Amino acid sequence: MRLTRGRVSLTALLGAALVMGAVAPVFAQTSTPSTTDEKVVFNVGVDSDITSLNPYNLCCGPDYEYLTLVYNIGIGFADDLSPAPQLVTEWTPSEDHMTWTLKVRDDAVWHDGQPVTADDIAFSFALVADNAMPFYKDYLPFEPTFTVVDDTTIEWVSTKPTFAPEVPPYIPIVPEHIWSELVTPGDAKETKKTVKEFKNNPPIGSGPFRFVEWEKGQYLRLEANPDYWGGTPASIDELYLRVYSSQEAMAQALRQGEIDFADGLTPSLFNTLASDPAIKTHVADGGCWGNIAFNFGGQGDQETHHPAIEDVTVRQAVATGIDKQAIVDKVYQGTATIGDSILMPGSNGFWYHDIPAELEFAYDPAKANQMLDDAGYLDTDGDGVREMPDGSNPLIWEFMTISDVNGSVDTGKLLKSYMADIGIKVEFITVNTNKAYDLWYTGEWDVYVWDWCPDPDPDFMLSVFSTDQCLGWSDGCYSNPEYDALYEEQKTLLDRDERKATIDQMQEMIAEELPAVVLNYWSDLQAYRADRFEGYVLSPAVDNGLLLFGWNNESYMNLVPVSDEAAAEVAAASSTGIPTWVWAAILVGVVVIVGAIVMSRRKRGADDEDI
Amino acid sequence: MGSRRYLLRKIVQAIGTLVFVLTFNFFLFRVMPSDPVQLLARSQRLSRADVAELQSNLGLDKPMIEQYVVYMGNTVTGEFGVGLQSAVPVTELIGSRLWPTILLVGTATFFSTAFGILIGIKGGWRRGSTFDTSSLMGSLVLYSMPEGWLGMILLIVFAGTLGWFPAGGYSSGGDLTGFAHITDVLNHLFLPMLTLTLGYIGEYAIFMRSSLLEVKEEDFILTARAKGLRDKSVRRYHAVPNALLPTFTLVFYSLGFVLGGSIIVETVYSWPGLGQLTYQAIQELDYPLIQGIFLLFSAAVIFFNLLADLLYGHIDPRIREA
Repeated sequence: MRLTRGRVSLTALLGAALVMGAVAPVFAQTSTPSTTDEKVVFNVGVDSDITSLNPYNLCCGPDYEYLTLVYNIGIGFADDLSPAPQLVTEWTPSEDHMTWTLKVRDDAVWHDGQPVTADDIAFSFALVADNAMPFYKDYLPFEPTFTVVDDTTIEWVSTKPTFAPEVPPYIPIVPEHIWSELVTPGDAKETKKTVKEFKNNPPIGSGPFRFVEWEKGQYLRLEANPDYWGGTPASIDELYLRVYSSQEAMAQALRQGEIDFADGLTPSLFNTLASDPAIKTHVADGGCWGNIAFNFGGQGDQETHHPAIEDVTVRQAVATGIDKQAIVDKVYQGTATIGDSILMPGSNGFWYHDIPAELEFAYDPAKANQMLDDAGYLDTDGDGVREMPDGSNPLIWEFMTISDVNGSVDTGKLLKSYMADIGIKVEFITVNTNKAYDLWYTGEWDVYVWDWCPDPDPDFMLSVFSTDQCLGWSDGCYSNPEYDALYEEQKTLLDRDERKATIDQMQEMIAEELPAVVLNYWSDLQAYRADRFEGYVLSPAVDNGLLLFGWNNESYMNLVPVSDEAAAEVAAASSTGIPTWVWAAILVGVVVIVGAIVMSRRKRGADDEDI
Repeated sequence: MGSRRYLLRKIVQAIGTLVFVLTFNFFLFRVMPSDPVQLLARSQRLSRADVAELQSNLGLDKPMIEQYVVYMGNTVTGEFGVGLQSAVPVTELIGSRLWPTILLVGTATFFSTAFGILIGIKGGWRRGSTFDTSSLMGSLVLYSMPEGWLGMILLIVFAGTLGWFPAGGYSSGGDLTGFAHITDVLNHLFLPMLTLTLGYIGEYAIFMRSSLLEVKEEDFILTARAKGLRDKSVRRYHAVPNALLPTFTLVFYSLGFVLGGSIIVETVYSWPGLGQLTYQAIQELDYPLIQGIFLLFSAAVIFFNLLADLLYGHIDPRIREA
């Protein structure tokens, strides 16, 4: 008996492994929840898990998608990103814009069955305003108070004239009966801590989907809310946000139908998926712009900027010397678009200003060289690098590129050759984002290749270029009193069109002065299965609006499964891979070979050859 | 008497190592050139005043020595704090990832040691045979193959193109229970486990083979043969048990790392284990979480080494007496 034990164990192990390998595929196709007779399930692939279930503790894209599905915000976004009724249906300013009267709907209910009242909404706003809650506090400026007048009316009283309700304030409305217990009146610090650490499981919101479960690192599962004031979702009964920690895995999951939608794909995977007839791709506005920013000094204590940067002619020559289209094509494989303004046509919609052609500094290296020659920056010692007009201090700039910022390093490489063409030498420092913050604050750089992601309301993005933001969010302490004055002015303009006229002027000013050169507008590369759902709603409603992960939840409300015929058409067009019988043959072959090995080993066992 | 002193010495050594590792980890992550608060600040658009407040709330503005004393005190009392990013207790964050990692790396370690040792024995005993040369070649190829790359290939072929297995994750969710849930998890487990098994197997095979080759040259093998024992008996009762000793150490050593998971394979297959959590924690410089994870890792490695030492004493009495 002892002598055969070794063989048994090896055979058993082999057998176990083979059985696992052989049995698993049988279940593979049946186990992913998908549209069945009982339930319509919509699966969305995301590249990171939600941070927490707590709406006061957010980080990234999926967190906001969770928020927009499970909660309502007071005033929402219409398809052009203008304010739209949600829990608050009307907002009317007093003559002086110091008091806003909010009307709230009376037909909304929390997921636990209690009615949503004006008290809940006033509470949610006050929670943010009184305790300066991170993420949201900037939406409620000038120390406002919120008073419930009657069941459907709230008065928002500001200490200064404001248009804040029309921004609109992106603040989740939470049930007072749950969250009020976490508030320590008069102690903002304590309240912030308690609110942030609250687990909020299960989350009770008033949104179109209710929470079912959250398996950390795996998926967030939601179900349609039958009592939603805006009507139930057209078809979706259940919704999964599934986490894929590698892009490749997400793309494969889409190919095999494990998910119906994938967001945030890389250009190469996106282009591969585009050739699959079962998959439709969509280039959406990515919400961020890539740029180079200049250091004007004054940023930090170890500040080392090059003096030539302070000369606007030099900055304009640099912009003229950059082939923006080539960067889009080579670095972003054609999936980004050339940028001109610090506000974006997609994310900022209405506020975006198309910069006049003469301020776009079209690529022309000869002209750029001429500009620098005329300004007196000549290469006096013939080493290919220009010097300052007084012949000192060659134009050798430290370029900071950031390894984990989309395209930063590759853009930097191209910029190096463009700069060499106009007599500016580039020395690289490549760091990760963490280190980039350190260098940014200490000021040890001349130029960096980074990005900004503006809110729909332009105020924050515009503030970045104001003098006040030096040592705050300013890239390199650019300072222009004229710009500062316009920035303060636009804050006080209560008429949208008047405000836009001022903001247009500011955008042109930045385009001409170039504290930063806007290189390109990034794209969010989305893909979805053509044979599963249709009826996506773009947000904002422009060609490159977002299908999902936009500013509202309209897509989830409107999606319906495609008809069987349409799905069959897609299936016919995309007969995938190798027919089943080939796999059957391979399987049989494997069994025969393994069988043969086992048999031959049995025979040889007698000759002491076995283990 | 001697045996008890041996045990005591080993345990004291293990605790000493743990304290050293904790100290080392504490300072290691703090000399990294970045600041977790700045990371939080950018996503929340905090002003510099807010940043200072946040730093003081988190105790990051105190001198490092003071932070260290607080940290060691908390560790001893089992107080691991909450994750900086998620504000969820560290023990809960780690706890939710523990089982998937044990399942994945545990099964992979089991299969790779079992197959690796058997292949190594078979190859080493018949050195130069076809089986030996081909298995040695195969082992070397697998040993030197980057796990991430292998995983990616398996993923594209078996998940994407063939659609046999899911492209990632631990389970499909839904209302699967009982047997359906188990097969669902096995489905998700198969590819990452196969990748890890293939990745580890070469190491064990090569190790076992060379260990056996060494033992084969020993005098007692010659004696055994001279006694007229059959080849199989020489191998089974004289060669393999002695050759297994170093492999045994290696296996225990690997068991210690089971909890560490596999950052690369867990990332490729979106496996919600500790490896993935570690990667994320380091990216976000989530100090309390990093410290919690490294405490667990170090404790596991030290524990299994201690266990190996103690068992070794039983398996090979020569060690105990030394």
